[in-house]
Amino acid sequence: MNYIDIAPWRLLIVLALVLVTSLVVSRRARLQLEKELVVGIFRGALQLLAVGYVLVVLFAAQRAAWVFLMLSVMLGVGAWTSAHRVESGPPLRILLPRALLAIFVGSVAALLPVFAFVIQPDPIFDGRTIIPISGMIVANAMNVVAQVNERIFANAKAERTEIEQWLALGATPKQALEKYVRNALRSALIPTINGLLTVGLVSLPGMMTGQIMSGIAPEHAIRYQLVIMYQLVVVAAVSGAVSAWLARRTLFNAQGQLQLFG
Amino acid sequence: MSVESPCLQARDLAVSLGGRVVLKGVNFVLRPNEVAVIEGPSGSGKSTFLRALATLEPLSHGSLLLEGREASALSVMAYRVRVAYVPQFPVMFAGDVAANVRAGPRLRGVELSDERVSQLLREVSMDPAMHTRVARDLSGGEKQRVAIARALANEPKVILFDEPTSALDPTVTDQILSLILACATKGRAVLVVTHLAAQADRLGGARYECRGGHIESKGA
Repeated sequence: MNYIDIAPWRLLIVLALVLVTSLVVSRRARLQLEKELVVGIFRGALQLLAVGYVLVVLFAAQRAAWVFLMLSVMLGVGAWTSAHRVESGPPLRILLPRALLAIFVGSVAALLPVFAFVIQPDPIFDGRTIIPISGMIVANAMNVVAQVNERIFANAKAERTEIEQWLALGATPKQALEKYVRNALRSALIPTINGLLTVGLVSLPGMMTGQIMSGIAPEHAIRYQLVIMYQLVVVAAVSGAVSAWLARRTLFNAQGQLQLFG
Repeated sequence: MSVESPCLQARDLAVSLGGRVVLKGVNFVLRPNEVAVIEGPSGSGKSTFLRALATLEPLSHGSLLLEGREASALSVMAYRVRVAYVPQFPVMFAGDVAANVRAGPRLRGVELSDERVSQLLREVSMDPAMHTRVARDLSGGEKQRVAIARALANEPKVILFDEPTSALDPTVTDQILSLILACATKGRAVLVVTHLAAQADRLGGARYECRGGHIESKGA
């Protein structure tokens, strides 16, 4: 099997490069992201290192409970990261369960048909089949939910007067928030749609390229990749819509009054 | 319903915001064709009272009655169609003046005719030819007129005005106050909140003062 071997000292060069460039940009543009960048760079490395060995054990063991545990961790961390990123929204205790529900519903909508009819795992809880695809799907849902929540809650705060004027004219909460929900969903879906439009022209998916490099026939690798890309659209649409629906329910009480947070 | 029975009534109303009691034990009656004015210093709770009457703030106690019926017996949307609220700085919606005037009825699937839009613009002393102007490009006084026309388009029984002339020059202020007085016809009542005694004098009618979370009558 062909693979690219990167010696540890060469990895250190990349580490130095990423640290210097990102910290210089953050400092000069006064982004105040230095701490987050450093934590992200090292935490990402540690997480990958740990999960690499976990996956070896998990793929070898073929235990349903372990696969379930891994999926639960993905969902939990995805929901927490997504909810934690929202600055203008309600407190974490309110947002976290909603983010979890939106990511879960979108992921189930995207994954269930695939595992039932397209890529049938054998055995049914085969970690090698389930975990890599689930990871990509949950990660996309996480980003979409974070964007939808951030935009809806931030707009509700900034455009309170306009929203309340719609309410005062007799608009339902759905009508009063419609413009902001539409804009939030459009923005959140654009990266996924751009991914579809530029795949093969700008980006070469790692999963497909890796399969081809390891000797799998291109037509098999391409079909596999297409399934993933189409399901990324499904999860973005469903998680985004569920998230927007939940955000609207959070923003208005039973009397149709706007409740802002923070 | 007799002519003199109240359009809008607040019974033992209390409002708390962020854990702070802003209004308590407020009883208030607004009758058809009446123009009432609530005065009071900034932060006295008069705008909160108006927002509570518009059902934009939750009540911590008490109830609202619209034409003798408990407001809670109506859907909140139906109540808001009958009780219009014009805020201190009305925001124009995207689009032209006509789209703004049509906004309320359009929410319920009713499309106002061109003639009705022209009629509403004339009621607020605007040239009907202005219906194609981009609403967000209008002057402060013109926006206030469009906001009033937009409120009138719903044919409300009550119109609530929050500091309606606070950002306008004296000439435009006088014109807007005349429009507000003209709204109190055909059984419709008007309630204006202001911190300016001169405006209250100009509007006449029943006068109230908001102080310490209570609203008390100052006579006519």
